[in-house]
Amino acid sequence: MSESNKSRAIGPTALPRRELLKSASAGFGYLALAGMLGTQAIASTHAADSSPLAPRRPHFPAKAKRVIFLFMNGAMSQVDTFEYKQQLQKDGGKVGPGGGTLLASRYGFKRYGETGTWVSDLFPNVARHVDKLCFVRGLHTDTPAHPEAVIQLHTGAALAQLVRPSLGAWLLYGLGTENQDLPGYVTINPAPNFGGTVNYGSAFLPAHYQGTKISDTGYLPNVKSQASADLQRRQLDLLQGMNRDLARRPGAPTELDGVIESYELAFKMQGKVPEILDISSEPQHVRDAYGVTDGPEGSFARQCLMARRLSEAGVRFVEIAHPGWDQHNNLHAGLTRNSRATDQPTAALLADLEARGLLDETLVIFGSEFGRLPTAQGPDGRDHNITGYPMWMAGAGVKPGFSYGATDEYGLKAVEGKMHTTDLHATLLALMGLDHEKLTYRYAGRDFRLTDVKGQVVEEIFA
Amino acid sequence: MKTRMLSRFRARWWLLLLAPSLIAAETTTREEAGTVEFFEKKVRPILVSNCYNCHSADTKAAGGLRVDDRNGLLTGGSGGPAVAPGNLEESLLIEAIAHADGAPKMPPKKKLSEQEIAVIRAWIEAGAPWPEEKFEVAKSPANESKHEKLRNEHWAWQPLNRATVPAVRNDAWAADDIDRFILAGLERAGLAPTGDADPRDLIRRLSFDLTGLPPTPEEVEAFVADDSENAYENLVDRLLASPAFGERWGRHWLDVARYGESTGASRNLPMPHAWRYRDYVIDSFNADKPFDEFVREQIAGDLLTAETDADRQENLIATGFLAIGVKDVNQRFKVRFDMDNVDEQIDAVSRAFMATTVSCARCHDHKFDPIPTKDYYALAGIFTSTDLNAGLRNKMGGGGLDYYDTQRLILLDKGAAKADDATSKKLIKLRNEVAQAKAEFERVRDSAEASEKAPDGRTKLVVARQAFRKKQAELALLNDPAANGARIALGVTDKAKPADTEIRLRGEAEKLGPLVTRGFLTAFEVPGTQPVNRSQSGRKELADWIASSANPLTARVAVNRTWQHLFGQGLVRSVDNFGVTGDKPSHPELLDHLAGRFIADGWSLKRLVRTIVTTRAYRLSAEEISANVQADPENRLIWRHSPRRLEAEEIRDGILAAAGVLDRKRPAGSPSHSLEVSELPNNGPKAREIRQAARQSTARSVYLPLLRGVVPETLEAFDFVEQGMVTGNRSVTTVPTQALFMMNDPFVRESAKKLADRLAAEVPADDRVRIERAYEMTLGRSPAPSEIDRAASFVKEFSASWPVLNEEIEPEKQKPEVAKAKPAESARPAVPVNPDEVVTQDAPAEEVRIRYSDARTAALAHFVQALYATAEFRYVR
Repeated sequence: MSESNKSRAIGPTALPRRELLKSASAGFGYLALAGMLGTQAIASTHAADSSPLAPRRPHFPAKAKRVIFLFMNGAMSQVDTFEYKQQLQKDGGKVGPGGGTLLASRYGFKRYGETGTWVSDLFPNVARHVDKLCFVRGLHTDTPAHPEAVIQLHTGAALAQLVRPSLGAWLLYGLGTENQDLPGYVTINPAPNFGGTVNYGSAFLPAHYQGTKISDTGYLPNVKSQASADLQRRQLDLLQGMNRDLARRPGAPTELDGVIESYELAFKMQGKVPEILDISSEPQHVRDAYGVTDGPEGSFARQCLMARRLSEAGVRFVEIAHPGWDQHNNLHAGLTRNSRATDQPTAALLADLEARGLLDETLVIFGSEFGRLPTAQGPDGRDHNITGYPMWMAGAGVKPGFSYGATDEYGLKAVEGKMHTTDLHATLLALMGLDHEKLTYRYAGRDFRLTDVKGQVVEEIFA
Repeated sequence: MKTRMLSRFRARWWLLLLAPSLIAAETTTREEAGTVEFFEKKVRPILVSNCYNCHSADTKAAGGLRVDDRNGLLTGGSGGPAVAPGNLEESLLIEAIAHADGAPKMPPKKKLSEQEIAVIRAWIEAGAPWPEEKFEVAKSPANESKHEKLRNEHWAWQPLNRATVPAVRNDAWAADDIDRFILAGLERAGLAPTGDADPRDLIRRLSFDLTGLPPTPEEVEAFVADDSENAYENLVDRLLASPAFGERWGRHWLDVARYGESTGASRNLPMPHAWRYRDYVIDSFNADKPFDEFVREQIAGDLLTAETDADRQENLIATGFLAIGVKDVNQRFKVRFDMDNVDEQIDAVSRAFMATTVSCARCHDHKFDPIPTKDYYALAGIFTSTDLNAGLRNKMGGGGLDYYDTQRLILLDKGAAKADDATSKKLIKLRNEVAQAKAEFERVRDSAEASEKAPDGRTKLVVARQAFRKKQAELALLNDPAANGARIALGVTDKAKPADTEIRLRGEAEKLGPLVTRGFLTAFEVPGTQPVNRSQSGRKELADWIASSANPLTARVAVNRTWQHLFGQGLVRSVDNFGVTGDKPSHPELLDHLAGRFIADGWSLKRLVRTIVTTRAYRLSAEEISANVQADPENRLIWRHSPRRLEAEEIRDGILAAAGVLDRKRPAGSPSHSLEVSELPNNGPKAREIRQAARQSTARSVYLPLLRGVVPETLEAFDFVEQGMVTGNRSVTTVPTQALFMMNDPFVRESAKKLADRLAAEVPADDRVRIERAYEMTLGRSPAPSEIDRAASFVKEFSASWPVLNEEIEPEKQKPEVAKAKPAESARPAVPVNPDEVVTQDAPAEEVRIRYSDARTAALAHFVQALYATAEFRYVR
C-alpha cells in the first residue's frame, strides 16, 4: 500500500498518510465511542486515528448506522412472493413477451397494511410488517448467471474475474466500526461457491476490512482456548511481559503496541464473541418467535437471531443467507420450503429490532442477486430474470410503506424507476453517509470505487 | 462433421417444400429487405418477441447463441454460425425456425408463421443488414499533446541514466557505490546513518531475507564466533547457494505472477497441473537463470528454440505464467471468455514485468498514462493469436466435468497420449452414450417424471442426472491424458492462424471497431527490437521487447522489487505502478545504477542480491536516532534498517523449523494434483481434504496447496497474498485474529508441544537449561537471567496449577486426537440436480485437543507457545 489513499473520508478523521503506509495498528482498536449518527460525531481522538477500524466521520450525515442484509441466495421468484401482477394472473398459459409460456402464480395474493401492499401467501408474517417496508421494484443487473451476479451484488464487479473489495469491506474502510471488541463485518453461512470468499473479502484493501465468516451454528475458529481461562491468562501475562521488554528495546518495531493490544483484544474476544453468538441464552419466547431449532431447517432463524445480537452489539455490517432459491424445477415445493424457513424469522427480526428501538439505526435489506421470469421453465420451474426484480428495505433511512420503481404488466422488465446494482450500491453507501464517488482507494495506479464509473443515488426512497 | 453435412443435405431438400413462402416474400423487394429500416420494422420485432427470452445478452443465451447482436448471429452458438449473410443454406437460423429435421426446432413450442419465416429469409438473403454502431476512436488533440509531453518527460519511460557515483564526505563508511548514493542523500539532508547491526540480528535478518528461514542456533553461534574477514560474505554465499533461496525468492515471484491452483472467480475449479509452473519458478531462481531469459520463457517459451528435450519442456511449463490467472469459466459467450482472458494476460504481463497498468485502455484511452486504446488492442492481437491451454472451456451453468477441456492441455512428452484404435472406438461409443444420457436427463427434467420416485427411493430426475454424470466422467477419463499418466502442463501455444484483432467499443467483446496491427506500447521506444512476426502470434517479439536491455522499465522494475524485499520498501514504493500516478523514486540515480549493473551482470538476480546485501546500508542496525526520526520518519533515506514483520510463510516455516519438524525436501507435485476438474465449493469434502493436507504437511509453505479461496488456515492470518491479482507488496496488518491464531490454533499448539518434547528429549532435565535452549531455537538468542527467571517461575506455577485447573492429563497418543462430530445431515440429495445448489452449511468443526504426557511438558509447551507468539518472533530487525 504505497500510494496515497486520502479520499475515503473528509475532515480531520482521514488517516494521515504515514499511518496508512504502516498499515498496521491496534486491529479492532480500543475505543468505546458514542454514536456517530450524523455530523455531531467528531469522535476521533489521536488514538482513533491510529486504528483503521476506529469510527470515522462519514462524508455527510448518515441515515443508518448499521446494515443487516438478508440474502436470498439463488434468486427468489418475485412474482410468487412480493411482486403481484394482475395481468400475469390473468394471462397464464399465453405466450409471453420475448417467447415462452406465461406462468401465473399459484399462490394467493392479499393486500396488507394501511398501504394495501400485495404479498403472497408465502410470506404471511413478513406481510404483517408491510407498512414498514420500502420496496425498490425496478432493479436490474448484468449477468443472468448466479456466480457472476452474486459477485456483482457483493463487490460491484461486473467481470467476475476481477477481484474487488466487498460492500462490507468498503463500509468498514469508509466508516470503521463501533464496537472494537468485535469484528466490524460478519457474514453468516455465506455461499461456498459463486465466488466464495470473494463475496466478503477485502481484495486490495488491507485485511482489516475483510468479513469474518461464521457458520450457521455460530462457529468461528480459534476463539476457544483448550486451557482454562486462568491458565491462559498466566501464559498471556508471560507473553505480554516478553513483548513489553521488546518494546523497551531501542529501535523496536513501531507496530509493537498494536501487537500487545491485539492479544488483550483477542483475550476479550474469546469471552465476548461466543457469548454474543450464543443464542441459547435468549429467553425461550424470543427463540420461539424466531422459530429457532437445531438442524438445517432452523438455520435461517438462528442466523436472524445471531444477526440481531451482533448488530445490537455494534457490528457495522451483518449478512445472513438462505440458499436454495434457484427453482428451475420443483418451483412450488421449493418456494414453500424456503418461505417456511425464512418468513417467520425475518418477521421476528423486524419486530425484535423495532421493539428494541434498533430499527431506527439499522437498515435491513432483503433480496436476491436477480429475479425469475414470469414464464414457465419445464413442468415446474422458472428461469433467471435480470431485467426487473425487487428487493425490500426497512428501518433506518428509508421511507416506510413506500414503493419505488415498477416492472411491466408481467413483472418481466423494469420500466419505471430503473435501478442497476450499481445504483443500489450508491444508494446504500449514501444511506450510510458515504459519497460513492469519494469513497476511493488507489490501487495499481487507479482510484477504485465500489461503483466503478457509474452509480446513481436514488434519493426518492430516503425517509 | 458428418451430421452437419447431413443436415445441409436436408436443408436443401426442405427448401423446395418452402417454395410457397417465397411467393409471400415476393412482396418484399430485395432492395427493401436490404435496408436497416426493414430490419428494424420487420425483423427485429420477430426476434424480440420470439427469441430474446433465451438468446440475448440479458438472458442465458442458450447454446451460447445471442440474436440481439449481429456478430452474435454470425458467430453463432455451439451449433455454428446462425446467419450467413446472403446464404440461406449456410444459415442455421433458417433451419431452426423452419423446424427442419436434424436442426434444433426454434422457437421450441411455437413455430413462426410462414410470413415471419419469409421475412427472416428475405433479410438474410439481402445480406442481413444491421444498424451500424457509431464507432469513433476519439482523438483529442489536448490529450495527444499531453501524452507527447509525458512520453518525453515521465521518468520511468526515459532510457536508463548512467549516473556518476556521487562524492561523499564520509567515504570510509561506504562499502560499495550503492552506499555512496545512499550516503549522499543522507548528507544532503544533514543526517548520519545509525550504527552497524549486531551479528545476531544480522544473521537472522539475512537468513530470513534470503531463504525465508531462521538460522539454527549452531549457525548463529558459528557466525558470531567467526572472526575471519570474509565471514559475512561466506554466509551470504552459503545462503544464496541453498535451495531455500529459490523457495523464498520464487515465492516473491509467485505473488507477482498471481499464482493459484484453481480458477477462482465465479466457479472455482482446480487447475491440477499449475504446480509445475511453481516448481519451474523456484528452480529458475535457484539456477540463477538470467532474468531476461526468465521473462522470455514465461511469455514465449513455446516459441523459443530448445537445445534439449528438457529445455523444451521447461520452456513450455514457463508459459504457465499466461495460463494460471483467474478465469470466469461460467461466462456465457465464448468471445467474452476469450477477451476477458486476453485482458487478464495483458494485465499480468504489463504489471508483472513493467509495473504498468494497461488494462484501463481496454475501454478507453488510459486516463493518466499515454496508453491509447489502440495500443491495448495491438497487444490484444498477440494474445488472441494465442491458444490458452488451461484445460478449461467456458459454459454457463455447467456442472460436473462440463468445464474440463482435455484438448486444451500441454502434453510434455512428445508423442504422448495418441489414442490407439481400440481407444478411438471406445471414444465414439462413449460419446454417443453421453449424448443419449444427456438427452434422457433433459427429457426427465422437463417432464412430470422428474419428481416420480425410482425403485431405490431417489427421484427419477436424480437418477437420470447421476447416469449422465457417470457417463460423462467415463468419457472424460478415457479422453483425459492426465488420467492416462501423461505429464501435463498448463500454458500457451500459437494459434494456427495468427491475426490482428479489432478495437472493441467500450471494451465490449462483440462491438468491433477497426483492426489494429499487432504491436507493443508506444509510451516509450525500445531501440533494436523487431516488430511482430506476422506468421506467428508475436509473443516472441513481445518477449524480446520486454526483456531488452533498452526497455526502460523491465530492469528498473526488477531491481526495485529486489530492493523492496531487502529493505522493506522499494526505491519506488509503488512497486507495481511506475506510471504517472505511481510514486517517484526516492533515489532515481541509484535505481538506474542498480538497473545498469543488473544488466551488465547478465541479469543475474543472485549477483544483484549479493551486491545489495553486502552494502553497508543493508547491514545497518535497526536502532533509531531521534533527530533522524524527526527528519525522516519513514526512513526513505535509509539511515537505519527498518524492522520487518515476517510473511505468513516465514512464520509457519519458522515455527516448524524451531520445532525441528520442517521437511526441507520438495514434495512431489501438489495435493491438488489428484483433484477432479469440477467445481469445488469451499466447504465441501474436496476443500476439506485439501485443507487437511495442508494442515498435515510439514513441507515449506511455498509447497502447500494454494487453491484460490481455499487458502490454508496456517497462512491465512498473516496477510497471505490475494491470489487473484499481481501483487508486488503484501499488506501488513495487525489484527486480533492473528493473536487468536497464535493462542489457539492447533498448528501452533501442536508445534509448541513438539518443540517441548524435543527439549525434553535433547536437553537435561533442568528447566533453566531448557528455557535457554528454547530461546535460542525460537528467537536465535540467549535469554537474559531475568528472562530465565520469569520463564522458570511460569513453568513452575503453570505445572503446579495444571492438574488442578485442567483435568486434561491423559496418556500421550501418537497423534492429536480429533473429536469428530457427525457431518450435518443435508436436506438435499447427495447429487443435486442443479449444480448451483450446494450445501452452504459447514460441516461441524473439529476440535483438536492436545494431550500432554505430564504437567511439566504441558507447562514447557505453553512457554514455547508464548515464545512463538511474541512480537520478537514475528519481526526481524
